[in-house]
Amino acid sequence: MSLIEVKDLEVHYPIRSGFWNRVTDEVLAVDGISLDIEAGETYGLVGESGSGKSTTGKSIVGLEKPTKGQILYKGKDITKPRNRHELDYNQDVQMIFQDSLSSLNPRKRIEDIIAEPLRNFAHLSKDDEKLRVLQLLDIVGLDADALYKYPHQFSGGQRQRIGVARAVATNPKLIVADEPVSALDLSVQAQVLNFMKKIQRDFGVSYLFISHDLGVVRHMCDNIAIMHRGRIVEIGTRDDIYNHPMHIYTKRLLSAIPETSVEHREEAREHREAVEKEFQENQDRYYDKDGKVLPLIAVTDTHKVAMPQDEVDELQREDD
Amino acid sequence: MAQNDNLEKKSSISAEDLARLSKEAEEEATPSSRKIIWNEFKADKAAMTSVIIIVAFILFVVIASFFIPAHDYKEVNIMSYFNKPFTPDFWLGADSSGRSIAKLLIVGSRNSIGIAIGLTFISGAFGIAYGLISGYFGGITDMIMSRIYDFMIMLPQLMFIIVLVTIIQNYNAVTLTLILSLFQWMGTSRLIRSRSLAESRKDYVAASKTSGTGNFRIIFREIMPNISSLIIVEMTLSFAANLGVETGLSFLGFGLPNGTPSLGTLMANATDPTNITQYWWTWIFAAIEIIVLCLAVSYVGQALRRAADSSQRLGME
Ligand SMILES: Nc1ncnc2c1ncn2[C@@H]1O[C@H](COP(=O)(O)OP(=O)(O)O)[C@@H](O)[C@H]1O
Ligand SMILES: [Mg+2]
Repeated sequence: MSLIEVKDLEVHYPIRSGFWNRVTDEVLAVDGISLDIEAGETYGLVGESGSGKSTTGKSIVGLEKPTKGQILYKGKDITKPRNRHELDYNQDVQMIFQDSLSSLNPRKRIEDIIAEPLRNFAHLSKDDEKLRVLQLLDIVGLDADALYKYPHQFSGGQRQRIGVARAVATNPKLIVADEPVSALDLSVQAQVLNFMKKIQRDFGVSYLFISHDLGVVRHMCDNIAIMHRGRIVEIGTRDDIYNHPMHIYTKRLLSAIPETSVEHREEAREHREAVEKEFQENQDRYYDKDGKVLPLIAVTDTHKVAMPQDEVDELQREDD
Repeated sequence: MAQNDNLEKKSSISAEDLARLSKEAEEEATPSSRKIIWNEFKADKAAMTSVIIIVAFILFVVIASFFIPAHDYKEVNIMSYFNKPFTPDFWLGADSSGRSIAKLLIVGSRNSIGIAIGLTFISGAFGIAYGLISGYFGGITDMIMSRIYDFMIMLPQLMFIIVLVTIIQNYNAVTLTLILSLFQWMGTSRLIRSRSLAESRKDYVAASKTSGTGNFRIIFREIMPNISSLIIVEMTLSFAANLGVETGLSFLGFGLPNGTPSLGTLMANATDPTNITQYWWTWIFAAIEIIVLCLAVSYVGQALRRAADSSQRLGME
């Protein structure tokens, strides 16, 4: 059994307008997605901004109330607050936020920030608690003198590591990491990612790693789901996505990975433009007439894509 | 001790280091607010003077009123009927009952300021809690609470206060403060609600939720400290407004019961045309005091507001 099973998750937000403030429309932030996260793996959730990644992540940690669908953990549907409470769910499932500054209360010291989940779930003695906080700071490579400082006294990378320390404080089974490095410089990104990987090795935690950039996800994830307009357009293993991408949206995301070497920059730009042109011209074959993502079709055991069956067949014939 | 050994092993810093660090941190704590406010007042002489005036005046009034026995301002003394001011016995003159205006002013100021402070705290605390809760929960809770707010705003408040004061037979300063508080919390609650709404969307609130912290703890321990500067400004400015509330009512004759001096009852002397011109000392000192106090409090409030809003600051770090 998987650690977490997301089944046909939908999150719709009402849009109110007019004089009476009545519900006039809906934003389909998440519009029916399913995925299974295994224990100890890193699952990538990738898509451009506004595709519903954060909403999916927040539903999984229980911050957002789904309109429809189920999220199963230990056989229970944790979209129901009662089940979350019964399982002490947030002891096992935690979150790392994109904006490290706003995710740390500016009025609290690092000690109190990291100890917050411990105080609610672990009930340690004062000394044990301080010790545990020091251990956690050590794990993310911060000195003990961070203990009594305030969030604004740290750099972005350090703050994100504090967020990581808080998330692992209660030894969770799954951490939803919502674009944890998107706001950081490239060099700092690698550093934070390395701490996250180290923690995974030491604690066996699973990550749902959310990103808008397939480049960042490449070295982190075992399985990847590509999300667009609230739905999954392609889902598969790392090999499926990077080496056998089928959906035009996946190809576009792949071409958008920043090229770091100077020689290939021009080449990459031309490639990106070609893919963008193809995307604009062939969009209507990959989306239905309302612009919605098509149903997923299995290509292999692991690989599914949201395309018409005949297109899939054609692509496979080309491959052979 | 085992704890400590363990702690030493885990980190390279000793217990003394920790003690030193926490002391340093203590000094840097609330680095911003307190220091910023202090700088702001140093840069704004008017606000600084105002603080000194207000504090000194309140202290003087409270202490001095202890030495004025009740019969001094309750009993009629025909001999000193409308005694002129600036005489050895009556520094500020006497009123139609021969009571010393200076003594009435001291006791009256204590009563009026006391009511204003009580009103500010009671209605402020309620308004803050109401706004925080309404903004934090949002949705249906917010909708119901906003409808109650709308209803309270629509009520003809002055009329209600006058009716309540007339119905309740034996009311005193405390009951009057409570009655007034019923109608004074809305402004604060509106302001706090909008900030609470914005603050509740921030990720640190989400992080507290996933850390297992309860809603009311989040509201009062996580969100409230983050809007403390707004709360201080709002309380100061509403104190200035509240000074006027009781005074205005007493002026109209619906404030404190007869025989209880207040700035408003002194001001009410000005309703008699002969008092206005001939016996001007019966009301003019109270009027001057009200103007000075309200101005001083709002100077302070404005300095605090600038301190809270970084873009308007005068004081340098
Ligand atoms: N609380 C909300 N109310 C209304 N619309 C929302 C809310 N949160 C998100 N949305 C909308 O849902 C869509 C998906 O948002 P989000 O999950 O944040 O996307 P992503 O994280 O992939 O950028 C966006 O169009 C966004 O505007
Ligand atoms: Mg997002």
